[in-house]
Amino acid sequence: MNIDWWLLFEISLAGLGTGGLYALTGLAFVMIYKATRVVNIAIGEMLMIGAYIFFAFSAGMGLPIWLAIPGALLVCGAFGALVERTMIRPMLGESPISSFMVTVGLSSILVGVVELVWTADQQRLPEFLPTKPIEIGQAFVSPKIFYGFWIAVLLITTVLLVFRFWRGGVALRATASDQAAAYSMGINVPRVFSLAWVVAAMIAGVAGIVVGSIGGISSAMGIFGLSVLVVVIFGGLDSVLGALVGGLFVGLVEALTGFYIGGEYKILATFTLLVLILVVRPYGLFGTHEIERL
Amino acid sequence: MNRTRRNVLASAAGATMAAAAPAVWAQKAAASKEDIVLGGSIPLTGVFAFAGIGIDLGIKDYLTILNEGGGITGRKVRYVPEDTAYKVDQSMAAFKKITSQNKVSLYYADSTAFCKTVNPELERNQNILMTGASFAKEISDAQKYPLQFMVGPNYSEMVSILLQYIAKTKPGAKIALVYSDTEFGKDPVEAARAETKKLGLNLALEIVTPPASVDVSAEVIKLRRADPDFTIFHGYVSAPIPEFINQAKALNLKTAFMGTFWSMDNQTVMRMGAQADGFLGVMPYRYYYDTEGKSPMLERIRKMRPEYQTTGYIQGFLSAMLLTEAAKRTLEAGNELTGKNMKTALSSIRNFDTGGLIGVPLSIKGNSIPIGRIYRADFKQQKMVAASDWINLTQ
Amino acid sequence: MRIGSAKESYAADTALFDSPTQRTWLVVFAVALCLFPFVADDYWLYLACLVAINVASTSGLNILTGYTGLVSLGQSAFMGLGAYTVAILQIRWGTPFLLNLLAGGFVAMLAGMLVGLPSLRVKGLYLAIATIAAGVIAHFLFSHFTSLTGGSSGLTVPPAKLFGLELDDSFKLYWVIVPITGLMLLGAANLFRTRIGRAFIAIRDRDISAEVLGISLLHYKLMSFAISSFYAGVAGGLFAYFFRAVTPESFPLVMSIFFLAAVIVGGMGSILGSVLGAAFMTLVPELLKLLVGWLPLEAFGGNAALILSPVRTIVFGLMIVLFLIFEPLGLAEMWRRVRRVFHLWPFRT
Repeated sequence: MNIDWWLLFEISLAGLGTGGLYALTGLAFVMIYKATRVVNIAIGEMLMIGAYIFFAFSAGMGLPIWLAIPGALLVCGAFGALVERTMIRPMLGESPISSFMVTVGLSSILVGVVELVWTADQQRLPEFLPTKPIEIGQAFVSPKIFYGFWIAVLLITTVLLVFRFWRGGVALRATASDQAAAYSMGINVPRVFSLAWVVAAMIAGVAGIVVGSIGGISSAMGIFGLSVLVVVIFGGLDSVLGALVGGLFVGLVEALTGFYIGGEYKILATFTLLVLILVVRPYGLFGTHEIERL
Repeated sequence: MNRTRRNVLASAAGATMAAAAPAVWAQKAAASKEDIVLGGSIPLTGVFAFAGIGIDLGIKDYLTILNEGGGITGRKVRYVPEDTAYKVDQSMAAFKKITSQNKVSLYYADSTAFCKTVNPELERNQNILMTGASFAKEISDAQKYPLQFMVGPNYSEMVSILLQYIAKTKPGAKIALVYSDTEFGKDPVEAARAETKKLGLNLALEIVTPPASVDVSAEVIKLRRADPDFTIFHGYVSAPIPEFINQAKALNLKTAFMGTFWSMDNQTVMRMGAQADGFLGVMPYRYYYDTEGKSPMLERIRKMRPEYQTTGYIQGFLSAMLLTEAAKRTLEAGNELTGKNMKTALSSIRNFDTGGLIGVPLSIKGNSIPIGRIYRADFKQQKMVAASDWINLTQ
Repeated sequence: MRIGSAKESYAADTALFDSPTQRTWLVVFAVALCLFPFVADDYWLYLACLVAINVASTSGLNILTGYTGLVSLGQSAFMGLGAYTVAILQIRWGTPFLLNLLAGGFVAMLAGMLVGLPSLRVKGLYLAIATIAAGVIAHFLFSHFTSLTGGSSGLTVPPAKLFGLELDDSFKLYWVIVPITGLMLLGAANLFRTRIGRAFIAIRDRDISAEVLGISLLHYKLMSFAISSFYAGVAGGLFAYFFRAVTPESFPLVMSIFFLAAVIVGGMGSILGSVLGAAFMTLVPELLKLLVGWLPLEAFGGNAALILSPVRTIVFGLMIVLFLIFEPLGLAEMWRRVRRVFHLWPFRT
């Protein structure tokens, strides 16, 4: 069979690049799930808020990029803390379905707020990434995807290291595995919850800025979160490594399907993958197996 | 949770319900029997809001001009709009509400889906002539949609106009068609395939993008391999066109880019950035700032509205113009204002001068007006500039 | 004031409407429903029919999610299947409309059982996400199986015919939709007086214990999916006859979220909750429109029409969040509290 290897390589690179963005958003999701056991379906909308706040700072108020990005991330973090305090904390102890539905409500509220303030029009973010295409051998990669990918990898590695070595990271892992034990070891569990949401919101903000600078921003951006759902199920709801592997894999599958079969089959392929993984390994590649006890 | 919080919530809910009840009855104000009513399901919010706001203003302005001039045989035309956020069920609810509270003769519809859903209602009602923001090929079937029409070419005719321009400027050119996997996007694909064969052009590549795609790098790779002379986009308002253009230009592709009606508004194109320079497209109307040729109506609009008005405004303006023209001809011929009479009157329009908004006098035979002109984006001037003559597909 | 209600037979104990007061009020309500079409204008009839269709679908979802504890975000997909089945049968063969509705329900039921198959392996939120996949696959089917479903343009449905009369306006459709919904509600309520209903509730509370007690999980979970999607299919069929056009875009994920929200706001595990939740979620956007039109926004430089739609979205999300935080048992619980006040009067609750 005559396979054009360079073409395959090119497509794969494009897929891995998008996969990096999926992995980043998946990381934010996993962080929230790990610490607070909440399936946050509003992750796509939190991404959107990050992009819009960056838009407000850079295009609306005219701040320079090096000021706008940290500013937007700070606001995202504060927003994450606010959401956690007002909507998630009261749901502690309720069934997971309830906290899931709260995030569903949250996603609606965020979309409405964005439409109210900025209208539902599509907007473009100011350019801040270099625009020359990157050449690897005979393959071209779009620069935004390339840099987005490395930002994602950098952030994920940082988080993995932080979880391993920093006290806060260890506290988060402790809370994730057994809340009661963490409490009794003197870990301030509510503080850990807030921390998880703050960091997750900031990561979602970064993802939002990168995704927004590629495809523009609009109030319908949150649909990105649907693909991320597949990523985290594939990798395991509470595994950071799973988010990385899952994101890259899903991105690859999407790119290959889109190219060789057709763009309209992309989302079908992603969701077929979801069904497959649910049937074969319901807890994902690296997720912890929930053992139910009577 | 303590008692007082519950009570407050409950009484608040109760008070809202009680307050709303008299408002419901207040709404049923008697409509003047003399006025002709033009109802509208307008997308004032939602994804189509940029067009909807313009459409709303355009209709209002035309009706102001008309009513100032005495209306239609002495009767004023009243505009009753409702926001629909471009959602079909809301459009439908708005339609039901407006038609139950007024005797509606003319209507503006916001989307293809709504036009289709409301068609059986139109047949039953029999007294309404409808136009709207949809340029779908299906709606231009006069047999299936006898009481509807569109103010411009349908999407297939738009692509045909583009292809005719291409055939004239570069015979035998290689073409790529990029469209979205939605009803809007897939509309002209069949016609494009047939037309390219007929004109001796080479439709080398078709790219379908999922409706909410973020990254198009894989598609750009396809584009690079095909290396077309012209790339036609359809089914989008803005995204992902700018990203396609940016990546393609960075890869030094020679292709020119073209779009259809809803991507062609001046502000939308200029927002794409400097890369948008040279973006071509088909537009059935003159732009707000056009000064070549005689367009007295355009000058009047410019006097009324000193700031730039979108293509949506012109569309709404023209829709109101043609709707009321049909009503006028019906009444002047002494017929009742039924849907069928108005449609017949509309089809009798020959060589109608829109005051320069459409460059050539138009005749309406079926449900569409297949006239358009190619415009090119000139980023330096921040304007869309005419790049061809008016192409009329019926000739 | 009601001081206890002594029942003398088993049948009386398990009766759906157990007191004379309740029965009288029910009769009054039924009479009001019959008189309503004669006093309401087209717009309110349209809303009434829409509410009835939503009630039918919400009660189906309540059986699955509220009573059996299986969260499903695929309700819109099953409604879509029912709607398309009805549309195709009506267009191609013109079969009687009751038959079409049953066929629609049946097709949706088969799909529901298929989607329910993974429910043994996956639980809770994983199942919810799997049902989202069902929605996506259904949407793909609708838009790409062009020969049968008309692709992206969808299908236009001719009006239903009952005894030769064409049901083409809200008035006539009201007389068909409301009784069918009523029957479905009665069926659902009765379901929970039987063994099957009790098995569902047992599965919701602790499915491992239920299995230990001898309730076959696969059997009953599939049954729950089947019944709930049957309801969704019939509701979808009514939708097709009501809107007279079905397109793939008519059944988005947002619709599933709407129904799940209606179940939660109304009260999970309560038939009354389904009715209240569906009515509330359908009518609040309309009330909001009236309210926003009323406010003196011009004074603040705002345009009422422009803010209505985002405000609607915000209110939708806010209602879900507020109900979950402050009234997790939903509108049904509020209703019960009000009833208690009346029952125990002059004593306080």
